[in-house]
Amino acid sequence: MRTAYLTATRYTLLELARNRLAIGLLALFLPIWYVLLGEAVGTGDAEFKLKSTGTFVYVDAHTLTLLTAGFNAITLIIGFLIFASTRKGGDFDRRLVLSGLSQPVMVLAKLSALVVTAAAVSLYAVLILLVFWRPENLALVWMGLFSAALIYGTFGMLLGVLVRSELAGFFIIIMVSLLDTLFQNPVDNPAANKDFLAWFPSFGPTQLAVAGGYLNTMSGRMLALSLAWFVGFGVLALLIFWRRTRAWNARGRAQQRAG
Amino acid sequence: MKASVVFMADVLLDARHISRSFGRRPILRDVSFTIGPGTLTGIVGENGAGKSTLLRILAGELRPSAGEVTLHGALGYCPQTVVLNDALTVEQHLHYFRAAYNIASLDRAYALVERLDFAKYRKTLTGVLSGGTRQKLNLTLALMHDPTVLLLDEPYQGFDWETYLRFWDLTGELRERGCALLVISHLIFDQQRFDQILALEHGELHPTAASEAAPAR
Repeated sequence: MRTAYLTATRYTLLELARNRLAIGLLALFLPIWYVLLGEAVGTGDAEFKLKSTGTFVYVDAHTLTLLTAGFNAITLIIGFLIFASTRKGGDFDRRLVLSGLSQPVMVLAKLSALVVTAAAVSLYAVLILLVFWRPENLALVWMGLFSAALIYGTFGMLLGVLVRSELAGFFIIIMVSLLDTLFQNPVDNPAANKDFLAWFPSFGPTQLAVAGGYLNTMSGRMLALSLAWFVGFGVLALLIFWRRTRAWNARGRAQQRAG
Repeated sequence: MKASVVFMADVLLDARHISRSFGRRPILRDVSFTIGPGTLTGIVGENGAGKSTLLRILAGELRPSAGEVTLHGALGYCPQTVVLNDALTVEQHLHYFRAAYNIASLDRAYALVERLDFAKYRKTLTGVLSGGTRQKLNLTLALMHDPTVLLLDEPYQGFDWETYLRFWDLTGELRERGCALLVISHLIFDQQRFDQILALEHGELHPTAASEAAPAR
C-alpha cells in the first residue's frame, strides 16, 4: 500500500512538472503580471475592509495590487495545471484502478501531489513578490497564496471531472479567477469591500495575506474559511472521480483474494 | 447483478444473461458464454454491435443492466483505445502498473518489451512514440502480471506484420500457460487459430460456422 501510494504520488507530481505551458506561465507570466499590474497602480492609500477586526485599514494601493497580481496569476496557473492533468488523465487513472490500484491510494496521491504543487507554486510567487515588496510577515502572505492555490487546485480538479472541453475549462478558470481575485482589491473597484465578496473563493486567502502582509496578524477564521473552500471543492471533485474510476465488480479486491 | 470469484478448473470466465441498455436503446440482450483455460475465443461483430460495451462490462468498467460475470484469477485488459500517460516514459508506465498489480518484479514486463521489440524506447516519453509502439506498450500493460484471463479489444490495430506474428506467438504461449483469451474485433483473420468464434449481432450472441467447425480443446 505504501509503495503504491509513493509511486502514484511521484508520477502524479512528475506529470504536473512536465506541463511545459504551466511552467512557462510560472516563469514568465507571473513576474510580468506583477510588473504590469503593479505599474498600473501607483502608491497611495487604499481602504481595505479587514473581516477579522471588522474595521477598515489603510494599505498601500501599489503593493496591494501586486498582491492581487500574485493571487490572480497563481490561481490561473494552478487551476489550469490541475484541470489539464485531471481531464487528460481520466482514462489512465481508471485503467490503473481496474488493474488493482486502490481508489483511496489514488485519491490520497492526487491530494498529496496537489498540496506539494500548491506549496511550491505559492512559495515561488511569494519569493518573486519579495523583489517588489517587503511584507510585514512573509510566511502569512505565503499562507494566503498557498490557500488560494489549494482552492483553485481542487476547483481545477472539479472542472477536470465535469467539463469535457479543454477550451471551456480554461475559459471558466480564467473568468472565475479574474472576477474573484480582482474584485477583492478595492482600488478603482465599484464593488470595493462589499459584503458579497465574502462569498468568493479567494476572500479568505486575500484577507489572510493582507492581515499578515501589512499588520503581521493572523486570522484563524479566515484560514478556516479558506480550508472550507478547499475541502468543499475537493470532496465534490474526488467523489465524482471515485464514481468514475470504480470497478463495478470490485475486481481489484477479488484479484487479491484469488491471487 | 453481482460478481464473484470462484475456483473452477474448467471455466475461467462465465458471463450469464448480460444485458445493457443506454437510455431506452438496448445494446446487449441476454448475452451468455463461458471461456475455459488455455482457449482462444473470438467475438466478431460489425461496428455498433455492442462488442466494446461487452468487453467493458467484462473488464469491470461498465455495470450491466442485468446479468452476472464470474471470473477466476487475475484479469488482463487491453482496451481498444491506447490508454497511456503521455507525460511518463515507457519505464515509468511499467513501474506504475507494477504498483497497481502489486507484483514483486518487472522481469516479465521487461521480457515482453524485448519480445515486442521496443526496449530501445524504455526511457522515451510515450507522448512522442509512434502509434504502433504505443499499441505495444498498451498490450504489455495488460500482460505484465501474467493474467489468467486476458481480454483484448481490437488488439492488432496498428501492428506491423512482424508484430502481428509476434502477437500470435505470445497468445500461443499464454494458452500453453492455461490463460483464457478473448479477442474482440470487427474482423477476425486467421480463424483457424481460434477455439470458438461468436458473432455479436444487434446485441445478441450467436455461434458462427467457424466456431462449430473448430476443434474441441
